[in-house]
Amino acid sequence: MRNNKKIALLLFLAAAPLFMQCKDSGEELEPDEENELITTVTLHFTDEASGTTSTFLFQDKDGTGGNDASQFDTIRLAPNSSYTLELEFLDESKNPTDDITGEILEEAVDHLVLITPNPSTALTYHYSDEDSNGLPLGLSGHVNTASAVSGKLKVQLRHQPGTKDGTSTPGTDDVNIDFPLIIE
Amino acid sequence: MKYYITLLLFLVISSISRGQKADCQCFLKGVIKDQHTGLPLPGATLLLLDKNQGVVTDLRGEYLLSGLCPGKYTIECRMVGYSPFHLEIDLQESHEENIGLAEQEIHLKDIEITAQRSDAPSSQPLDVLKGKALFETRGQTLAESMKGLTGVSTLQTGNSIAKPVIHGLHSNRVLIMNNGVRQEGQQWGSEHAPEIDPFIATQISVIKGAAGVRYGSDAIGGVIRVDMDELPYNSPISGEINTVGLTNGRQGVVSGTVQGSLPKVGLAWRAQGTIKRGGNTKTPDYYLDNTGTKERNFSLSTGYRYKGFGIDAFYSLFDTHIGLFSGSHIGSITDLLQVIENGEPLIQSGFTYLVGRPRQEVRHQLAKVEAHYHFPDGNRLQWTLANQRNDRSEYDLHTPRNDSIAALNHPELAMKLNTLTTDLLWDHKPLAGKFTGQMGISTLYQYNLMTGRPLIPNFNQWTVGLFAMERYTHKQWELEAGVRFDYRNLLTHQFVNQQKVSNEFNFSNFSGTTGANYRFNDQLSAQLNVGTAWRAPNVSELFSDGVHHGAAAYERGDASLGVEMAYNNQLSVQYRSDRLTIELGTYLNRIHNYIYLNPLPDPILTIRGAFPAFQYTQTNASFKGIDLSGLWSFVPALSWSSKATYLRAYDLSNDQYLVMIPPNRIENSIIWKIPPVAGLTDLHLTFGNLWVAQQKRVLPNSDYAPPPPAYSLWNAKLSAELPLSESNKLNISLAVDNLFNTRYRDYMNRLRYYSLELGRQVSIRLKWQFNTQS
Repeated sequence: MRNNKKIALLLFLAAAPLFMQCKDSGEELEPDEENELITTVTLHFTDEASGTTSTFLFQDKDGTGGNDASQFDTIRLAPNSSYTLELEFLDESKNPTDDITGEILEEAVDHLVLITPNPSTALTYHYSDEDSNGLPLGLSGHVNTASAVSGKLKVQLRHQPGTKDGTSTPGTDDVNIDFPLIIE
Repeated sequence: MKYYITLLLFLVISSISRGQKADCQCFLKGVIKDQHTGLPLPGATLLLLDKNQGVVTDLRGEYLLSGLCPGKYTIECRMVGYSPFHLEIDLQESHEENIGLAEQEIHLKDIEITAQRSDAPSSQPLDVLKGKALFETRGQTLAESMKGLTGVSTLQTGNSIAKPVIHGLHSNRVLIMNNGVRQEGQQWGSEHAPEIDPFIATQISVIKGAAGVRYGSDAIGGVIRVDMDELPYNSPISGEINTVGLTNGRQGVVSGTVQGSLPKVGLAWRAQGTIKRGGNTKTPDYYLDNTGTKERNFSLSTGYRYKGFGIDAFYSLFDTHIGLFSGSHIGSITDLLQVIENGEPLIQSGFTYLVGRPRQEVRHQLAKVEAHYHFPDGNRLQWTLANQRNDRSEYDLHTPRNDSIAALNHPELAMKLNTLTTDLLWDHKPLAGKFTGQMGISTLYQYNLMTGRPLIPNFNQWTVGLFAMERYTHKQWELEAGVRFDYRNLLTHQFVNQQKVSNEFNFSNFSGTTGANYRFNDQLSAQLNVGTAWRAPNVSELFSDGVHHGAAAYERGDASLGVEMAYNNQLSVQYRSDRLTIELGTYLNRIHNYIYLNPLPDPILTIRGAFPAFQYTQTNASFKGIDLSGLWSFVPALSWSSKATYLRAYDLSNDQYLVMIPPNRIENSIIWKIPPVAGLTDLHLTFGNLWVAQQKRVLPNSDYAPPPPAYSLWNAKLSAELPLSESNKLNISLAVDNLFNTRYRDYMNRLRYYSLELGRQVSIRLKWQFNTQS
């Protein structure tokens, strides 16, 4: 009998952790922290003749997934005109908004912006800035449009840490957007 | 969730000598019993390893080996459902003299052997890797070590990250029991390899097919058991040291085990540790940048036995740093297509041991206490409590742009998973001498904490399972049946648009198994098993929402997914004779509500361009296949071994093929047993060929590159044993894999778009055992 009681007690002790519950992971929920996220790309085209600036935007505030891009503009430019093009990159998922443009400027030797029209004759692009190694950067440049056409304008931000050589080949894309382009 | 029954097998070996001086007239006879149930074990195989002679126990569990010369023998005893064991016996003149005096059957030795019974249904196929075969895989990852077993392949991310695939199923559909505890890491990820040091194991077994009843949910494809020997009670200090050198990657591994006991107190202990270091690996044409690894593991165990009572404590730490091939990092599809078009990586490098970015740092700790009590009447109770802490940190190729954040050098993704499991198991005493069985309750509680890049939510999970299994043995029949019920509660927490969102899920299900094992005669036996297993969708299937950069695909979870249920039918036949062994396994696994990534019609537009989009969806799938292996000694010194695996997986609801299914393969080798030379014994020279087919059963246009063509690899291996003294020996193995430096890519390697597989690999392995019993 005494033995049975002992066994019962042992059994009870052994069974107790079966139903144990501990920590709640909801109390330690940390906000997402995506270091390399870029949510917004802004293109400022300033007509060199008139000085008027048109702004075109790609914006996906919650990053990849979740909601679709909230804004994806069509670039509309006048034919046979000259523009200065300034680019701006933001991470608007953070509060306050993270200014990626400044960070790219700091790390200019690791980044390269590529502007590629399709058809390739739609416009020509020239860099007007460079990094400390004298290689192009592309946060600002000049655009000369040709005759009226519609197509695409690809904007790429290449991340080329330690491998930047002025060409598009090294590194990987941080941004790769095909803006619809209408020259009319 | 550790459940293994430690059964005491009493092996009584007797020897009779007839005649006074007859040189080779010794007998070895006895009976093999399952001591726990007291039932004799018919159909157990006894092998004299040095003589290539063997017998099978009869219906009364008795065996007889005759015509033996005096000398030393190693006996191996095998039985389906039991771990094989080894025993060294000495049939000597002195014993014969004693025997002569008694003039009757006398005990040469009474040997108590503790054998770990694998509790899987005995009607289910079981493949075991141990001893020499295990030694020859040393230095490889857990999954790679099992590649040689039929029906098992790997899913790889580069060469250092490999996951086991059983009958075409992997990740959450394969359960790993690490020392009796259900391994809980972030196993849903295809680039998350099992966090286990294979050197801990003295035996790795694979139970193929759905084994949900015994092991709980998730065991849809099968179960992998990583087991170590019982602690050496009543033995002096002994141990072994393993060293492995691999030329490709210039990798070195050292692992040591030392164990001993305090027989008077009833205590035994073991300490084990492994250090592994490797650098950049090389394909036939180029080095792979940042593919080094660094690993440090150790484990400690101790136990106490007193009469029927026993308690064991175990702790292990697995700590690895794995470099991921930097050429596989892409930002957009344009980047991926550029690498594929180039045909070789755009990033190339030389050799270095440095592990830079991108890399994974994983620590897995397991602490376990297990106690059991054998009641004098045959009942047995076992209780196990285990805690696992899994810390996974992933470092991306690029540090944050912001210098002050980058200086902190935090991982871009960190996951901490903490799991507590408890199991209570009761083996009832044999009923009517024919029924044995066990029942149990197991619980699992875990929570996951995430920081960094969003991937899966934080979650708390609580699971309880109840099961019972019965086995009936009668004459040549062994019948078994079991049933289990599991309940799972899952609570998730995450931020959606900077608002905390919590969700609760409840899943529950029954699983069952029934099977029969029939022994036609000493050589031929057959098993039929029908088993079910289920699996609740995991958090990544419920909540993924983002681009999976390794796969260049946008993957979206579905919080409305239900449970997945597998119905698996398996028929296997074995024929074993002195010179020929054939094992045939066939299976038909129907999985209802199989969760897979279904391509969505429209790609998803992201700031890095458009990515093809996939959503986790459920369908009905079928996996059918054949595993065939044979070993034929066509002349005494030469044997031929062949292993073939055939698998066909199909999406029944949509009438199309499933993707990422391992292609068919066949492996052939010729083994030459060389006579002992220069003190070396057990000399074997093996030439082998592995042929892997092209996977042609794929969805058209579902991939960036077509499945790689078939490939054929040659390998050679020389192994030997050098006995140093009575209880000290050295095992040596020299192997060359990919002998001809063949260029190939493997469909089941997720980095196949980016690079070739490894070139020639020369490996040398040494194992020194001291004071060993067997």
